[in-house]
Amino acid sequence: MDLPAFWHQLHEWPLAAAMRGDTPGTEWLFPIVETLHVTALTLFFGSIALVDLRLLGLAQREAGVSDVARDTLPLTWAAWCVAALMGALMFVSKADSYAANTPFRLKFLCMVFAALNMLVFQFGAYRQVGRWEHGEPPAAARWAGALSLALWTAVVCFGRWTGFTT
Amino acid sequence: MGLRQLASWLAATAPSQLLQDHQWIVPTSQSLHIIGISLVFASATAVNLRLVGMAFRRRGLLQVIDALVPWMWRGLALLLVTGVLQTLTEPVRELVTPVYWAKMGMIAAVALLTRAYVGTVRRRAGTSGADAARPAAALPFAVASTLLWLAVIACGRFIAYTSMYFT
Repeated sequence: MDLPAFWHQLHEWPLAAAMRGDTPGTEWLFPIVETLHVTALTLFFGSIALVDLRLLGLAQREAGVSDVARDTLPLTWAAWCVAALMGALMFVSKADSYAANTPFRLKFLCMVFAALNMLVFQFGAYRQVGRWEHGEPPAAARWAGALSLALWTAVVCFGRWTGFTT
Repeated sequence: MGLRQLASWLAATAPSQLLQDHQWIVPTSQSLHIIGISLVFASATAVNLRLVGMAFRRRGLLQVIDALVPWMWRGLALLLVTGVLQTLTEPVRELVTPVYWAKMGMIAAVALLTRAYVGTVRRRAGTSGADAARPAAALPFAVASTLLWLAVIACGRFIAYTSMYFT
């Protein structure tokens, strides 16, 4: 796939022009979309942090892990979807710039690792969650929580850094 | 002394100059600031959803409050420290725009409102002993709290976008 040609195509979209503020009357579109992105990401990160802190045994210890997870994760994923949609809108405004931006790329790399971490945990230790969820969390759960927290914190930092460099 | 003069004076002080000399301080503080608001907004939203009975129903209202409200206050502490740091490093940019002051006012309002309402819920549960949740009665607080936090987040972002008009 010819990426530079694809970025050029995206650049020509009316939506992209609007996101850049090129079209008259659209100057505030990017700031508004960015604010929605930040709002959604805070809800995402805060809720996943609370689940990770539970896996580490540092928060909500009176509740079972599966209760915390089942209560929280729908909110987490809804927030992630909104953040991703807003992110996609911002991306199309300057696709070639973002695609070449190092912190932006590292952000996505961290998200891939975070997803892998979640899958490993989901199909690993979490399958037996009923056995350990009220006691001391097993090492696998603590590692999953710690890695998730670290990776998503890195995503937040790389995201902020992207804002400074594009 | 005008706001702009106060901000300029602050920018000239030794602590501010020291902070300004290190380029990494503001981005680092802002990242921690985002983590702080994440803890606050996620905890507040979870409690609000539980107050109106829409989510987090596996646990009683008091259990959700006891589990999450402390994290809200911890997040707020982190926000205060990083916020002061950021304001001290870039006083003019922060203090000249009315958006900054609107944000501070709303934070004070939602913090006081939350403290008062959580106190009421705990007291009511204490005397009656029954499950503290009363969804219909909680709706005004839940809506006000959510709107205030959304406005605070938006103002936070818009400080940067508006300060150029007031400098």
